[in-house]
Amino acid sequence: MNAIIKLELKKNIQDRGMIFWTLVLPILFTVLFISVFTSGLNEAESQPVILSIVPGYTVMFVFFIMITMTESMIKDQNNGLVARIASTPLSSYLYLLGKWVPYMYIVFIQIVILLLFGKVVYNVPIEQLFYIIVLAFILTFMVTGLGLALAILVKTTNMGIALTQVLALGGALIGGLWMPLEMMPELLQTISRFTPQYWGHQGFREAMTGTLAMGDFFKISSVLLGFGILGFILALIGYPNFLKRTTG
Amino acid sequence: MEVLKVDQITKKYEKKTALANISLEIPAGVCFGLVGPNGAGKSTLLKIIASVIRNFQGKIRLTNPRMKIGYVPQEIALEETVTAQDNLVFFGKLYGLSGKALTLRIEEVLEEIGLTERAKDKVTTFSGGMKRRLNIGCALLHQPDLIIMDEPTVGIDPQSRRYIFQMIERLKQKGATIIYASHYMEEIERICDEAAFLDHGKVVENGRISMILEKHGKPSIFVSGNDCMPSGLESFGMLQEKAESYLLITRDPLQAMEYIVEYCKRSGSHPERLELAKPRLEDIFFSLTGSQLRE
Ligand SMILES: Nc1ncnc2c1ncn2[C@@H]1O[C@H](COP(=O)(O)OP(=O)(O)OP(=O)(O)O)[C@@H](O)[C@H]1O
Ligand SMILES: [Mg+2]
Repeated sequence: MNAIIKLELKKNIQDRGMIFWTLVLPILFTVLFISVFTSGLNEAESQPVILSIVPGYTVMFVFFIMITMTESMIKDQNNGLVARIASTPLSSYLYLLGKWVPYMYIVFIQIVILLLFGKVVYNVPIEQLFYIIVLAFILTFMVTGLGLALAILVKTTNMGIALTQVLALGGALIGGLWMPLEMMPELLQTISRFTPQYWGHQGFREAMTGTLAMGDFFKISSVLLGFGILGFILALIGYPNFLKRTTG
Repeated sequence: MEVLKVDQITKKYEKKTALANISLEIPAGVCFGLVGPNGAGKSTLLKIIASVIRNFQGKIRLTNPRMKIGYVPQEIALEETVTAQDNLVFFGKLYGLSGKALTLRIEEVLEEIGLTERAKDKVTTFSGGMKRRLNIGCALLHQPDLIIMDEPTVGIDPQSRRYIFQMIERLKQKGATIIYASHYMEEIERICDEAAFLDHGKVVENGRISMILEKHGKPSIFVSGNDCMPSGLESFGMLQEKAESYLLITRDPLQAMEYIVEYCKRSGSHPERLELAKPRLEDIFFSLTGSQLRE
């Protein structure tokens, strides 16, 4: 399994595009939207906007790792590596873990950098540091778990990209990352509770301002962990078919 | 003693039957050739043995269930964006090697496949033949007892091909068993001890190559230059026509030859070649299946 993790990291570190998608683009968006939404506001009025956008865009952009994961999986499938690895003693379970863990490293670093950026440039509060770190871990676990499932279940890279857009952008919209939930119709507010984005965003926001109660913290964590575990289970279930698609 | 028994294996892809109730025994320490035209089912059988394909009917019985198997796929299955060394480390670890043992083994394998100098280069910069060699090398790291090679010489120059043959020879000397799929009968005749002929998912003939040659290798006449072909040759035996030549497999070669010569003299045609021959394995394959190995 370590061999797979190492190779996967090596490939991704060589890939310049990765830095653009995971860091440059979200930072550009954050800066752009904060300047748009806070223009003409005084500092007290800007504060809640910034406090929503910094974690909101972090949560939104971590989802795009799903594209990278799908691309990597489908490429392995097409160039015969999946079949070849299946001929070695490595179990499918460890193979999937090996394809999962490296993206956890990447996303965790991504979250840390994006939040640090918010801290350094916009001076967002970081009140409950411990909660924030744990939430960052769990958000990472969740999004890469779902990414693994997507990568195993889709048949083509294009399909993976399309579904990632739907999950990332649709979830961001419904989950209240773009617009305060209070401004949305009641029905949407209810639906938003089914999106992982909603929980991630709430958790970060409250932990930053220091208002995250322990009960809520556990609730949010378990919802996000649930999504991640669901992803891994789906990936395990989908693996035999994934292998079949390479070899028949 | 066989290392492996293929026991009544059937494999269907959706509607297509790729293997139809195949049984084979692979003896220990031989190079076993699997020959057949495109689509015969060679790769399917090898993938089943290498446990890449897992849903099929029938059984693969390994004499030693813990036997180490190395599988060289038909396509080049490497991570090409990293170096040869990286690929070898990767597969070595998947096969359970690590540390000093892995480093040493990688050096040996690099030597074996003649890529020591290029170890630190990215695979994308390799020629087709070099990729092929690395493709083989990645299956040898754990010193497998059984090596499964699916058309390892496709698309490479004669020099690299000879190189690969020498490798196989050395592996055999070390006691490994090799299953070698190809649609080049010359390769099978040259490096294999036993062979199975596969056509449309069925085993048409199998056994020691010398035995197959003896059993089916009836005397025959080879004639090139097609205008020297009298009608009624079929009555002498079995006729195989090719583009500019034909082969007549017959019990009575002298009589048949006389008949052909008579005809040529009468019609004033001059064959380029007219000779007594023993059919080669490829001719035997054709006479058994009616299929050409290659179009
Ligand atoms: N994944 C698949 N899905 C559907 N049919 C397949 C699949 N793989 C192989 N087949 C079919 O099964 C049959 C046997 O294929 P196989 O690849 O085993 O042949 P082969 O002897 O290796 O041929 P070649 O010399 O071209 O490599 C062919 O008719 C092929 O079309
Ligand atoms: Mg094949």
